[in-house]
Amino acid sequence: MKKRVGNFWTRMLIFLSVMGPGIITANVDNDAGGITTYSVAGAHFGYSLIWSFIPIIVALVIIQEMCSRMAVVTGKGLADLIREEFGVRVTFYAMIGLVLSNMFNTISEFAGVAASAELFGISKYILVPLCAFFVWWLIVKGTYKSVEKVFLVACLFYLSYILSGFLSKPDWKEVVGSSVKPTFQFNKAYLFMLMGVIGTTIAPWMQFYQQASVVEKGVKLKNYKYCRWDVIIGSFVVNIVAIFIVVVCANTLFTHGIRIESAKDAALALKPLAGKYCFYLFAFGLLNASVFSACILPLSTAYSVCEGMGWEVGVNRHFREAPHFYILYTAIIIIGAAIILLPGVKLIPIMLISQATNGILLPFVLIFMLLLVNNKRLMGEYTNSKLYNILAIFVIIGMVGLSTALFFTGFVR
Amino acid sequence: MFVYFSQLMNRPVMDKNSEWTGEIYDIVVKPTEVYPQSSSLIIRKGFPNRKYAVIDWPSIAQVNNKEVVLNIEKAKIVFQEKHDNKEELTLRRDILDQQVVDIYNHKVIRVNDIHLLCVDHSLMIAHVDISTRGLIRRLGLEKLVDFIIGVVNKNARYLKKEHLISWKFIQPLSINPVSMTIKVEASQKQLSSIPAADLGEIFLDLNIKDQLALFKSLDLATKARIFINIDFKTQKKIIGELESKDIAEILNNIPSDEATDFLEKLPKEKVDHFLGLIEGKYSKKLSQLLGYANDSAGGLMTTEYIAFTKDTAVEAALKQIRERAFKVEPAQFVYIIDEEHHLIGSTNFRRLILAEPLEPIQKAAFPKTYFVHLDSSVKEVAYLMEKYKYYAIPVVDEQNVFQGIITVDDILSQVISIAWRRLKRIKIQPKQ
Repeated sequence: MKKRVGNFWTRMLIFLSVMGPGIITANVDNDAGGITTYSVAGAHFGYSLIWSFIPIIVALVIIQEMCSRMAVVTGKGLADLIREEFGVRVTFYAMIGLVLSNMFNTISEFAGVAASAELFGISKYILVPLCAFFVWWLIVKGTYKSVEKVFLVACLFYLSYILSGFLSKPDWKEVVGSSVKPTFQFNKAYLFMLMGVIGTTIAPWMQFYQQASVVEKGVKLKNYKYCRWDVIIGSFVVNIVAIFIVVVCANTLFTHGIRIESAKDAALALKPLAGKYCFYLFAFGLLNASVFSACILPLSTAYSVCEGMGWEVGVNRHFREAPHFYILYTAIIIIGAAIILLPGVKLIPIMLISQATNGILLPFVLIFMLLLVNNKRLMGEYTNSKLYNILAIFVIIGMVGLSTALFFTGFVR
Repeated sequence: MFVYFSQLMNRPVMDKNSEWTGEIYDIVVKPTEVYPQSSSLIIRKGFPNRKYAVIDWPSIAQVNNKEVVLNIEKAKIVFQEKHDNKEELTLRRDILDQQVVDIYNHKVIRVNDIHLLCVDHSLMIAHVDISTRGLIRRLGLEKLVDFIIGVVNKNARYLKKEHLISWKFIQPLSINPVSMTIKVEASQKQLSSIPAADLGEIFLDLNIKDQLALFKSLDLATKARIFINIDFKTQKKIIGELESKDIAEILNNIPSDEATDFLEKLPKEKVDHFLGLIEGKYSKKLSQLLGYANDSAGGLMTTEYIAFTKDTAVEAALKQIRERAFKVEPAQFVYIIDEEHHLIGSTNFRRLILAEPLEPIQKAAFPKTYFVHLDSSVKEVAYLMEKYKYYAIPVVDEQNVFQGIITVDDILSQVISIAWRRLKRIKIQPKQ
């Protein structure tokens, strides 16, 4: 009996040492854009979209698990593998796509910072540059280990949404009921919203980031099963947070019939309905999510591009040793923050371009991944099983279809 | 004539009667020489159902600017679904776009293009290209970018500078999937010419698979040099993948202080297991060393030293020094002991060389030798070494029996880490 307890603790210890990449990547998925989508979904459609989070969890686990597995088995990042197996031309254009898509995503993260600045009554001309500097400083001065700890703490702050969910006192029976029972409304607005909720789930940067950070951790093959748990737990946690965001908005804004356009509107509308604590928690969650994602996106971009192009990768290196890395990283942050501070800048076109670049890049990345993970020379006995491949192809087709559709609906609206 | 591999790729291949046969896909080379020579050509045709054929080099009549001409007929070539013989070294699969070690600059780099020398219609790898221009050539934009830069600045460095690295300084890392070792033997490449510390750093830039494959293909001396220059985490990973025999070999061939440095961080059962692998006498010595606190003289010392009994003739001593193989470069001190291994004195190489060959070694000794005890602290050791300008200081037990020596590099790393802890804010800039 005693031995089993000991085993449990050693296993727990190994898990804690392996944990991180999956949970962090999944949480960044709930960025400023995600929170906006979920708030609007909750405010306009109540609980009726909650069921869609279950297929989202499955899709997220299937895609991200392949990245983790490739990282552990090959010890190489996704950009590395694409370069080595598909050549430089493909890599180059994929990297251009990644830079563009992540650049626009970063802009929308800083938009989230600006929005939360207004919620807290701070000038965005102070908070945005401050956050941009913090983000830059964290990576340039930190090590992989210390940065990961900061990120895990940021993940913890997502609990603020769960707290605000409880503060809004929802009817739990109804929440659980509508999450397991799919309801479908055949109208344009509902379908668009559904696409938005599912389509934002998987973005190209996630695969690059997750694979790179698992490689950086140096997980041993025999501990791979813990990596899988990392992915699964991450996917669950992130969607539970998302469900709570929907619940908060559904329970307050939807029941009062308030229409909103953004996460900022949602927070403001919450104040009179759910009290100021709920408002602060919601606003703080938005700030945390935005800053957190603004850290990871430029980092992941610079990392992948340098990996793919064969330039020195930074974090633990000096500027002179890894100039491409630092220039790219700094440029994305500065551009991202500066565009938001331009007077009269419109967010909607930025969001559209970011969705468009995501939508174009995603099919390529997912197909490359599928080819790589099934390459016997690279993966040996760890290639996908037949069933897994069928599921993966299904998810990929779904995701590609949705993100393309999402792009076009942007214009229809 | 020099040609880039990127320019050869996808070029048409014609048969004896000038009929189109396929296009160049890959080139197999023999990694046996300093500059590997092409041994067969892999051509491909068809899309999307690609077919491949391997053509041995003697069947090739000509390699020119436009195409490759064969001296056999198209009908004789057998096309197959697959082409890869995994043990061969090929340009496209194993070198182009892959990571290699640049032995000249002590770095891990990625190959953007391969520069081939075409002599008498056979090809040899001459250089690898790691420049941005190589990248742009691969993208098919070389002429365009050259033109634009030429318009802006005719003498731009970009156009003048060729960033080619000679193949003799390149260690490819592609792994033979059958033997799990590096396809190009590491001994041919001058990995051993790289300073140990740099070698360790290069090693840390590789992923675990490459690390292992490279490690296994090295000779024992280089293995030992790398092992003592990498961090504990990597040491553990590598040891975890090796056979007992290889582990014993490495532990036997690294200095005792490095061995204890590694062992003392492991859990006890692992230590016992590893000690069991090592030869009896040395293992006993290591387990004794492991017993000392790691910040005391006993924990820092190495048992690799040169000692002679006091009556040994200078000539005999010098002869022994010449003949003995050392695990590491020993400090230039020679210790003088009596029959019971008590420390009597010390001398150095210079004094030995200048001494009369037939006199006993004792005559060449320093007037006085300072030493420390097994339980002396780091501070004490550092203080004495600085005071008497020693590169190495002897360690004795309570009965004055000679136990080992502490060299200046070991005490320096201790002192630096103490200083580091105190002055965390001081940032050491790397040399530029």
